[in-house]
Amino acid sequence: MASYSAAAARVLDSAAHAGAQYADVQFWTIRSESLFVRNGDVRDASDVRSIGYGVRALVEGSWGFYGSDRFSDADFDRVAATATAIARSGSTIADRIPAVTPTARVVASWETPFTIDPATISVSERAKQLLAVEKSMHVAKNIVAAYGYVQLWTTTKEFYSTTGSAIVQTIRQAGAQCGATAIGKDQDAQTRTTPDMFYQGGGWEVVDRAKLADAAPEIGREAVILADAPRLPSGTQDVILSHEVLSLQMHESIGHPLELDRALGWEANFSGISWVKPTDVGKTRYGSELLNVYVDNAMPLGMATVGYDDEAVKPQRVTLIENGVLRAFLSSRDTAAQTGLPQTASTRAQDWASIPMVRMTNIGLVPHEGTLASIIAETKDGIYVDGMTSWSIDDHRLNFQFGPQIAYAITNGKRGKIYKQPTYVGVTPHFWGSLDRVAGPSEFVVFGSASCGKGEPEQNGKTSHACSVARFRKVKVGVKADA
Amino acid sequence: MHEQDRAMTIAEAVLAASAGADQAQVQVTIADASYARFGQNYVTQNLESQQTTISLTYYIGKAAGSVSSADATPAGITRIVAQAKAIAQRVPPDTKFVSLPKPQTYPSPVPSYFASTAGATPDERVALLVPVFARMKRSNLTASGFATTQTQSLVVANSLGLRAGYTGTNCGIQVKAMAPSTSGYAESYALDVAAIDPAATAERAATKATVSREPFDLAPGRYTVVLEPSAFQAAVKALIEGLDAQDVLDDQDSWMIGRLGKPVFSPNFTLRSDWSNPQLANPPFDPNDGTAATTFAFIERGVPTAYSVSTYMGNKFAKPITGVTNSMIVDPGTKSHDDLIGSVERGVLISRTWYERVVNPRDASITGLTRDGVYLIENGKLTRALKNFRYFVSMLEVMKDVEFSNRAVLCEPELDLGYSCVVPDAKIAGFNLAAQTSFA
Repeated sequence: MASYSAAAARVLDSAAHAGAQYADVQFWTIRSESLFVRNGDVRDASDVRSIGYGVRALVEGSWGFYGSDRFSDADFDRVAATATAIARSGSTIADRIPAVTPTARVVASWETPFTIDPATISVSERAKQLLAVEKSMHVAKNIVAAYGYVQLWTTTKEFYSTTGSAIVQTIRQAGAQCGATAIGKDQDAQTRTTPDMFYQGGGWEVVDRAKLADAAPEIGREAVILADAPRLPSGTQDVILSHEVLSLQMHESIGHPLELDRALGWEANFSGISWVKPTDVGKTRYGSELLNVYVDNAMPLGMATVGYDDEAVKPQRVTLIENGVLRAFLSSRDTAAQTGLPQTASTRAQDWASIPMVRMTNIGLVPHEGTLASIIAETKDGIYVDGMTSWSIDDHRLNFQFGPQIAYAITNGKRGKIYKQPTYVGVTPHFWGSLDRVAGPSEFVVFGSASCGKGEPEQNGKTSHACSVARFRKVKVGVKADA
Repeated sequence: MHEQDRAMTIAEAVLAASAGADQAQVQVTIADASYARFGQNYVTQNLESQQTTISLTYYIGKAAGSVSSADATPAGITRIVAQAKAIAQRVPPDTKFVSLPKPQTYPSPVPSYFASTAGATPDERVALLVPVFARMKRSNLTASGFATTQTQSLVVANSLGLRAGYTGTNCGIQVKAMAPSTSGYAESYALDVAAIDPAATAERAATKATVSREPFDLAPGRYTVVLEPSAFQAAVKALIEGLDAQDVLDDQDSWMIGRLGKPVFSPNFTLRSDWSNPQLANPPFDPNDGTAATTFAFIERGVPTAYSVSTYMGNKFAKPITGVTNSMIVDPGTKSHDDLIGSVERGVLISRTWYERVVNPRDASITGLTRDGVYLIENGKLTRALKNFRYFVSMLEVMKDVEFSNRAVLCEPELDLGYSCVVPDAKIAGFNLAAQTSFA
C-alpha cells in the first residue's frame, strides 16, 4: 500500500474543487549520500534527505505547478488551490497553444535493479576505500592535490492523478571519481581524472565498476606527465574520442538539440534553441551513415531509466537518428502533441520543488565494429583524446569548443607522445559528418551525468549517453586564446 | 520576517539536540520562488515552490558528519542529529579543521526585504508579461523568458554561540525577442518588484531584435568590444573563479598565484567584495558559516591585492579571515554607455553571451559565445547587426586595456557559483572573436 495515497486523494480533490480540469501530484523522498576526500582528509561526509510533493494543475489548457514540503491537511488544500490559481493566471493569455489533457490511467510499481545495497557498505568502509584511492595518486612530490568522491541517490516517487493513476517507483543511481593535480616546472597546473561521467543506475556495484583503486596510480602518473607536457600544436588531425569525450560530445551536440521543447522555442531564453526543427524529421542529415542514435529510458544502467516518466508515460526505444538522418526528438506529452512526433518518456523534474519538463534522458550511439586498439592501429596520423576540462557550445548547438585533459599522438598506428590542453572545435553537422569509425559492442559502455542544467529556475537532470569510441576525420585542434 | 524567526527557532532546537557534539553548526533556509516562464508569446511554465532546508554539521573532535532535511518536527530533528552523529563517529577526522567561527559582530544590514515582492501573486506575475507579449506582436516577434519573484530567509547558528539571520527578496524579468535569423535580449533585476518596468525591458529587447534582422558576417579577429553588463559579468567570471584561498593556496590553480601586488590590469579596473552595496543587499555574513562579511578590494586599480579566506582556510593557512564573498562589484567609469560606444572607431557591441567556460584557470582564459544582439561599431555608431561569434581570450591579457561606463547594473545572480554582481559596460581592446558560429 502506497504511503501517500490518502494525502494524494486530498490534494487532488482540492485541486478539482478549485477548478482544475486535471491534476496530478508526485510525492518524493530523495536520499543523497556523498563522501569526498582530499589530500588525506575526509572533507565531506553527508546524507541529505529531501521530502516533498509537487502538484500540477491544468486549467483551460494552461499548467500551474506548486512544490511544497509542508504536509498538514491545510497545506495540502493551500498547495492544490495555489497550483490551480497559477494555472488559471496563465490561461488569460490570448493566442496560446493549449496543453493536452492527460487521459491515461496507469497503476504500476517499478524499482531500479541493483546487486549491492549501499546500506551494506558502512561510511567508515567507504572512507577507507576512498582514502586509499586518494593516497595512491600521490606518486610524485609535484602532485599538489588529489581527491576522490562517491555519490549515491535513492529516490522514491509516488505519482497520483485525477485520472486514477497510481505509480510507485524507487530509483537508484551512483557514481564515483578520483583525480590529481600536478604542478610543472613552469608552475603550470594540470589535472587528470577518471571519467567525470561515471554515473549509472544501480547500487554500490556502480562504485565498484568505476575501479578507482586500479586507475588511481596511473591517474597520478599522467597528471605528472601533463604538468610538463607541451600544448597540442594547432592544426587539423584525425581525432579518436574516448568513451568519456564521446559521451559529452553526444550530450552537447545531439542530446540537447533534440529536446523538442528547445526546438519549439520554449527554452530559447536560457538553454537556447536548436539547429534542427520538427519539420526536419526524415529530411535533415545530421551526420555520416555511421551515426545511429536512439533514446531508451528503459536502458539497463541508465541514469534516466524509469518505469514511467514524470507524467506517467512508459519508456520505449525510439530511433532519433538513422544512418545519419534525423528521425525523432526527445519529447513530452505536450510537445509530442504539438508536433505529431512520438512520445519518448523524457519528462523529468529534478525534485519535488521543480516542474517536470523535457529532458535529455538516456541516449545511445549504436556500436559498429572494431575496438579502440584496432581503430588506433589503423590511424596513420592523429590523436586519441581523453578526460574533460572544459566544454562550450552555442545556443543553437552548432559551434562547439571542447577541451579534453590529454591527447596521445598516434603515428602509423602507434600511441606516442602526450600533449596537454588538446582543444578541438567543430560545427555539429560537419563534425558528425566526419565520423568514419565507431567501435563495436565490446567497447560499449553506459556513461552518465548527474548535473545536466536546463530550465529557469535551473534544474539538474540525470542523463546517460551509451557509446563505444569513435574516430572523426580532419578536425581542427589545438586552438588557443592567444591565436 | 516571520519565516526568519521560524528558521531561528528550528536552528535553536537542532543545536539543543546536538548538545553532545564537540561543535555543531546549523543552517536553515526557507525559500519561496515563483517563475512565470514564457515562449512563443504565452506562458509555458508557471510555477512556485516553498522549501525549507535544515543542514547540520556535527563534530566529534575533527571528524564531521553532515545531514540535511526539511523535517522540522521534534522527531525529525532527533533523527537528523542521530544521523549526523553516526557519520561523525565513523569517518576519519579532517586534520585541517580547527574550529567553527566564534560569535561575530555584524554591521547593520541594508534594506533587503520588500513586501511587494514577497507578496506578489500569480496574476501579478502574469500581468508583468502582458506588455511584453503586446510589444512583440507589434513587431511580429516572439518572446521567450520569465518573470520571477523570490524570498529567502537564512539563519546560521553554531554551538559556540554564533547567530546570524537574513531575509531578502529579489525579482527580475528576462526577455529574448526573436524572429527568423535575429534575436535581441534585455533584462531587469531589482529587490522591489515595483522597480521592474516590463514594457521598457520588452522595448529594449524588441528594438535589438528588429535592428538585428539580416546580420552579416564579420571576419573573426581581434576587435575592440563593448560588453554590456550581462556579457561582461560572464567574462569576468574567469577572474572571479580564482579569488578564493581554496583556489590560491589549496588547489593552486588560480591566476592570482605570483601576481599579488603586481600591476596586472588597467588602472581603470577595480573589483571589490562589498556585501553592503544597496543594489545587491546581501547578508552581512558568509552564508556558509556565519563569518562576518568584510568589504575589501580583490583588484585595486589594476593590482591584485587580496583573495577571500573562509574560516576553514584561514585556520589551515594562518591567514586573516574575510569570509567567502558573495558580492562582486566592478567600479564604474565616467562615460555613459553611449559615450563608451562613441569612443570606438571600429569595434563590436556584445549584448549577451552564453556557455562561458574557463579553459585554463592559471591564465584566466575563457571561451564562450555571443547571442541575442551583436553589432558593428563604426566611428562611434552602431551601423550593422552581426552574426554571432565564439570568443576565446585570456582575461589577464585583455583587461590590460579596459574602460568602463558610468552605469553599474545588478545582473542575474550566479546561483551555481554563489555570488551576484553589479558591473558596468566594459570597453575592452584586442578581444579575440575567434570564430563565427554560422555553419552554412
